[in-house]
Amino acid sequence: MKRRWGLPAAMAVIAATALIGCTGQQNSGQATTAGTQETKQESKQESSAAETEKEKGGSSGTLTVAIWDKNQEPGLTKIMADFTKETGIKTQIQVTPWDQYWTMLEAGATGGSLPDVFWMHSNEIARYSEYEMLLDLTDRIKASKTLEMDKFPKEIVNIYNWQGTKQYAVPKDIDTIALWYNKTMFDAAGISYPSKDWTWDDFADAAKKLTKADGSQYGFAINPTNDQAGWCNPVYDMGGYVISEDKKSSGFTQPGTIKALTFLTDLMKEGYAPPYEVIAENKEEALFEAGKVAMITQGSWMLSELCNNDYVKANCDIAVLPKDKTTGRRASIYNGLGWAASANTSMPEEAWKLIEYMGSKEAQQKQSDLGIVISAYQGTTANWVKAYPSFNLQAYLDMMDDLVIRPYSKSTVAWTNMIHEKLIDAWTGKKSVEDVCKDIDKEMNAMLAEE
Amino acid sequence: MNREKTVSRREKSEFLWGWLFLLPTMTGLIILNIIPIFQTIYQSFFKTGAFGKGNVFIGLGNYSKLLQDGTVWQALWNTFKYALVEVPFSIAIALVLAVILNGKIKGRSIWRTIYFLPMVAAPAAVAMVWRWLYNSEFGLINHLLNRIGLSSVNWISDPGIAYISVAIVGIWSVIGYNMVLFFAGLQEIPRDYYEAAEIDGAGGVKQFFYITLPLISPTMFFVTVTRVIGAMQVFDSIYMMMEKSNPALVKTQSLVYLFYKYSFVEGNKGYGSAIVMLLLLVILLITVIQLLCQKKWVNYN
Repeated sequence: MKRRWGLPAAMAVIAATALIGCTGQQNSGQATTAGTQETKQESKQESSAAETEKEKGGSSGTLTVAIWDKNQEPGLTKIMADFTKETGIKTQIQVTPWDQYWTMLEAGATGGSLPDVFWMHSNEIARYSEYEMLLDLTDRIKASKTLEMDKFPKEIVNIYNWQGTKQYAVPKDIDTIALWYNKTMFDAAGISYPSKDWTWDDFADAAKKLTKADGSQYGFAINPTNDQAGWCNPVYDMGGYVISEDKKSSGFTQPGTIKALTFLTDLMKEGYAPPYEVIAENKEEALFEAGKVAMITQGSWMLSELCNNDYVKANCDIAVLPKDKTTGRRASIYNGLGWAASANTSMPEEAWKLIEYMGSKEAQQKQSDLGIVISAYQGTTANWVKAYPSFNLQAYLDMMDDLVIRPYSKSTVAWTNMIHEKLIDAWTGKKSVEDVCKDIDKEMNAMLAEE
Repeated sequence: MNREKTVSRREKSEFLWGWLFLLPTMTGLIILNIIPIFQTIYQSFFKTGAFGKGNVFIGLGNYSKLLQDGTVWQALWNTFKYALVEVPFSIAIALVLAVILNGKIKGRSIWRTIYFLPMVAAPAAVAMVWRWLYNSEFGLINHLLNRIGLSSVNWISDPGIAYISVAIVGIWSVIGYNMVLFFAGLQEIPRDYYEAAEIDGAGGVKQFFYITLPLISPTMFFVTVTRVIGAMQVFDSIYMMMEKSNPALVKTQSLVYLFYKYSFVEGNKGYGSAIVMLLLLVILLITVIQLLCQKKWVNYN
C-alpha cells in the first residue's frame, strides 16, 4: 500500500517543475496566443474585407490600429472614417489598456505579428528602433506633400528619430500639465482662486488653509508615480532636472531637484496631503472627484475623465501651475505620442497613407476640434479649448509657454521604476530626501552608463 | 519462430497504440512545459536583448547579480511569509468544513456550492473585489470598522499587514478546492469505524482526532504538497491588488512578481529567468523534504 502514494508524490515533484516552467513562460505564452488569436481574427476580417473591397473595386485590406486610451477611441474613429472616405482604406481600432499594451506589442514584435499602425511612446521607442521593428518613414516623409515635419515641436519629432538618421514615427499630440482646484472648498476657506501670479509658496499656503483637522479634507494630492503630472514640474521650476541633456547623468543631486522634492514631501509630512498609504491606494483624480482633496495637478490627457465627472463639473475648475518665486519659472513637462507602423506589415503603403493623413494639418485640426487631445501641429489648438466650455482649458494652452520634454532615455522604464520605488521612503518620511536622492543618483547613473 | 513473431507483432502494436494515446498529453506537456523549462534555464545565462534578439552570453552573471540582490532575498522571504499563512489556514479550514459538510446537515449541497464558488470565479475579478473591500479610504471593511468605533486599518499598504491581507484572499479562493479533495479522502474511510467508535462512546471531536485525521493523512499529504507549490507561486492577487507606488510592496512582492517585473515590464528576461530558477530550486527542495518527512506522519491504511 505504501507504493500507492509513491507515484502521486513523484508526480507532485514533476508537477512542481512543470508548474514553474509554466509560470516562466505563461505570461508571454498567453500574450502571444492572445496576440495571434487577434491577428487571426483580424486576418479573417482582413480577407473578408478584402474580398468585399475587391468586389467593389476599391483598394484592399483593413488596417489594424492599436491604441491604449479608450477615451480617444470615439474621436479617432471619426477622423479615420474621413480617411476611409478619402482613400478607400479601411481601418479598425483596437484598444488595449496601457498596462497590457506594451506586453501585447512586445509579443507581437517577437512573433512577427505587430498591428499595422500603432501609438509609440518615449518610454519604449528606443528598443523598437534599435531592433528595427518599425517601418522606416524617412524617405516617405521627404517625398510627402501633405506632411510638414517642421510644424511639429522639434523635441517630439526627435523622440522618434533614431540616431539622427531614421524617422520612425510622426507626432500625434502633445500634453501639458495644469492645476485643478475645487472652487467650493476655496470659497468655504475664504481663499481667492489660483491665478497666474501664484507661486509654489502660495500653493503651500492655500494647501494649509484648505486642510481640515479631522482628516475629511486635504489641501492637495500628488500621485508619486505620475511623475510627469506631479513632482517633475516643480523640480524643473526650482532649477533642478531628472536627466541631463546628453542623457548620460541623473540630476538627483542637483540642489533644485532636492529643493523641490523636499518642498513636496514636507507638505505631505505636515499633513496637508492625505497620508501616503491613501495616495498609493487611490489615484489622485479619484480623491479629487470624491471631494477629499482641494487641488491636484493633472495632465491634459485626463480631460475626458475629469470634465465628465458630475462632482467636478459642479465644483471645480482649472488654472495654470504655480511658478517658482526665485527663478520665476513655470515649466510644464510635456510629452507627445507618435504614429508608427510595423516594419513587416503586409500593407506598408496603406499604413503610411494613414500615418501621413493623421499627421496632416487637416486631421490634426480635427483632433483638436473634437477635443480628443491637444494636437502637435502648430496653430491647430485654438478650438480645443471649446471642447469643454465650462472649464478654463486655456490654462493647458498657457502652460505651453515653457515646455520641458518628459525625461527619457533608452532604459526609461527601468530607471523610472527605480526612482518611484526609492522615493517611497522620502514620501513616507522614513529617510531624508537628500539620502534618497543620493541613492537614486548612484543607481540611475549606473543604469545610464549601461545603455 | 512463428509464434515469437506474432507476440512481438502484438507487442509492437500495443507499444504503438500506447504511445498514440499518450501523444496528445505528451505534445502539450513538451510544448507548454518541458521546452519552456529548458529555454528558461538557457535564457538565465544571457543578457537578453529585446524581441528575442541580441542575446549576449554572460555565463553566471545573472546568478551572481541575484546573490547580491537584496530585493530578491526579501521577495523570497515574502513568498515564505505568504505560504506560511496561506497553507496551514487553507488546509485546516477546508478540512473542518469538509468534515462538517460531509455529515448530514440541511442545505448541504448549497453550502458546498458556496464554498466552491471562489474557485470558479476569475482570479483577477476576485482580486479586484477584495482590493475595494480592503481600500483604506473607501473600502467596506474600514467603513464597518469605523461604524463600530474602531480606527481604519491600511490593509494593503501597511508593510506588516499587507501579506496577511493578500494571504486571506488566497485562503478564501482555495478553500473550496481543498475541500473537494478532502471529500474524496473522507469517502474512503469505512463507515464501520465510526459506528464502532460510537458504540464505544467516542464523541464527534474524539472521532475526528482518532479516526478521521489519521485516515485522511494521505489526502492531507497530497493537498499540502500541491498547496505549498501553489502558494510559492503567488502572483496574480499581488499584481492586481497593489499599485507600484504601494509602500508595502517591497515587503509583499513574491518571487514570481519580481520575475514578471523584470521579464515583462523592464524587458530583462535573462535576470527574470534566473529568479525563476531560484524559485524552482527552492520548491524542489521543499518538496523533497516533504517527501522524506511523510514517513513520520502519513498513514497508508
